[in-house]
Amino acid sequence: MGVGFGVGVIGLLFLAHAAYATSQYRSVLKILEEEFSSPPMNVVIELFLGLAMCFWAAMAVSGDFLSIHPDSEDNRVVSLPGNLDFMTFNHRGRVLPYNQN
Amino acid sequence: MVGAKEANLVERLESQAEHGGGGVWEYLCLVRKLKLRRSDKVLKYGLQILKDSKARSKLGGEEWTLYEQVAIAAMDCHCFSVAKDCVKSLQKKFPESLRVGRLEGMLLEATGSWEAAEKAYDRLLEDNPLDQVLLKRKASLAKSQGNTSASVEILNKYLEIFMADYDAWRELAELYVSQQMYKQAAFCYEELILCQPTVPLHHLAYAEVLYTMGGLENLQTAKKYYASTIDLTGGKNTRALFGICMCTVAINQVTKGRNKEEKDGSELQSLAAGVLVKEYKQKAPKNLAPLLTTTLKNMKLI
Repeated sequence: MGVGFGVGVIGLLFLAHAAYATSQYRSVLKILEEEFSSPPMNVVIELFLGLAMCFWAAMAVSGDFLSIHPDSEDNRVVSLPGNLDFMTFNHRGRVLPYNQN
Repeated sequence: MVGAKEANLVERLESQAEHGGGGVWEYLCLVRKLKLRRSDKVLKYGLQILKDSKARSKLGGEEWTLYEQVAIAAMDCHCFSVAKDCVKSLQKKFPESLRVGRLEGMLLEATGSWEAAEKAYDRLLEDNPLDQVLLKRKASLAKSQGNTSASVEILNKYLEIFMADYDAWRELAELYVSQQMYKQAAFCYEELILCQPTVPLHHLAYAEVLYTMGGLENLQTAKKYYASTIDLTGGKNTRALFGICMCTVAINQVTKGRNKEEKDGSELQSLAAGVLVKEYKQKAPKNLAPLLTTTLKNMKLI
């Protein structure tokens, strides 16, 4: 969890830096009076790196996956609830008095 | 539904509470959430909390839920003095409450004053003619007097209004089985499977009712439902494994002498028998496994 969170923060910083670098690049282009077609290659690489790190962090931070299969060890139904709305009290407990201990 | 994981948790909390390791309140909450009927334990641990005024005040508003839980547990254990005390304090706190009124009715029911209980329920029903719990109580009141057919009648009327209530369908199915009215019971289990298709125990119960009815077609359907139980439990349900074996034997007996090409080509029964033998070798006492093997051999399954 700790490592995943750290990676996520670094990934977000990467993304922020890529955004900042792109805007800087555009202002430079404005001075040079050139058309903006796409950000420079190293910014694109940084962007994808940051994205991958954020993906990884999103998977790692939120914990383990839970099974959705009905027959898995966690979800397997072993018994039904004891239909308490239809509880009747006329049973053998009548002759087996409750022992406080 | 009680899953394997939750069942383990209940076991753990129960032994923890038994050895005085705390976690009593968590245990009581879990029992309430899973709707388990562990009245003796609930009464014991619930009273522990209720007697300790410090622990009780820590619960805040949950205190009254605990009172209700302990009251019902005490009725189930036939500890009427405790139940009366709980109901009395609830009544003091919530006069005019329908929920407390129901508890009073249940107390009358538990002490065996059927007519008084019936009157109490009828009086409450006048104000709330569609209260589901009250209507269900009336059905179980008839059942606890041994009047199963009246109970069935009430439940049938109830289910005409509340068709999606699977607890009621289950109760009705069980009542029908106890009356040996298997056709009707099978219908109820079909409804249950429609309501909750992923609960293997409904499939199992349906298969068992079909197997009991007998006849080639029913047996074949029963086998299919046993198979779906195995599918949904990951092969951990011993009863379903036995069911497959029994169905196969019964089907073979019925079809004996008829054209043999129709014989079921699947390996289902031998696989089920194999799993059974393996499970028994692992878990059962030593002398049981050979017994099972010879029985299965006699049935020509392995």
